[in-house]
Amino acid sequence: MLKLKDGFVLKEIAGKCVAVPTGSDIDFNGMITLNPTAKTLWDCLAQGAEMEDLVAALLAAYDVEEETAVAHVADFVEKLKGLNFLV
Amino acid sequence: MTQLYRIAGLMVQMESFGRTVEQAKPYLTEETGEPDIVIHSQWQNLQKMAPHLSEDSCEYLSTGSSFYRQLLEYDGMLLHASAVVMDGRAYLFSAPCGTGKSTHTKLWLQVFGERAQILNDDKPALRLEEGSFYAYGTPWSGKHDVSLNVRVPVGGICVLQRGEENRIEPYSGTMAIYDILAQTVRSKNPAMMEKLLTLMGILLEKVPVWRMECNMDPSAAQVSYAAMSGKDRIC
Repeated sequence: MLKLKDGFVLKEIAGKCVAVPTGSDIDFNGMITLNPTAKTLWDCLAQGAEMEDLVAALLAAYDVEEETAVAHVADFVEKLKGLNFLV
Repeated sequence: MTQLYRIAGLMVQMESFGRTVEQAKPYLTEETGEPDIVIHSQWQNLQKMAPHLSEDSCEYLSTGSSFYRQLLEYDGMLLHASAVVMDGRAYLFSAPCGTGKSTHTKLWLQVFGERAQILNDDKPALRLEEGSFYAYGTPWSGKHDVSLNVRVPVGGICVLQRGEENRIEPYSGTMAIYDILAQTVRSKNPAMMEKLLTLMGILLEKVPVWRMECNMDPSAAQVSYAAMSGKDRIC
């Protein structure tokens, strides 16, 4: 299962959804902004989800082709893994 | 010796030494009562982590960090900036170390003479009070200890970059949020980080933010003042 590490604070600032890590588990001194699709995936990943769940969440929330959703999810998960944000 | 100070409108109890005591002198208060903030210096811990720093520097950094951390409880935050006051407004120039924040505000003093004064050359405190943001001088004002023990409404924040020409423009969006966040103290504690981000959100709504590329010519001060004070607008 894919799951975000604990300690992220999510906040809307000046119209942007911003995620900032706290605690000592995440070695990242920046912040990331989430667009609406990323926010949808983020919320699922905060609870814990499989790739299929993430694709299903995108398909339910947005009018996209499955192929596009799969590519989007793979790309986003890859980014989070690269940042070492996942458990 | 433990002393009571009034800093950024708050009663602060601090036991300190060296440069910190000297820089805090203008903030001593005769008032009595319960302090809002009690500063516990951790300079020994800091020196263990950073052995190249003197005891005095560790004390200064540790007390400052304790103060600004607790300031969040009172709708206040640190912005790493050089703050200059002119015509009753504070203008804060923020940037990473070595960019030339102090150099830029010195140009204001040079160009505008006694009309301009440095409020805090390094770490002004910002507080949200009755719906408006105010900047305060504090004892933690940098190497040269230039600060004023006053409260001034914030007229604007400008993120500085070095450039060939002087150019200023309104700044917003993701990069503005990032640059402000990078110049304050981030908490490791989720609840405090939540408070900081909430306060930053209000700050970005209420206070005009600018981005400027500047050189070291005195005209740089005229360019930033004209834009940030609104004096270049015809109305």
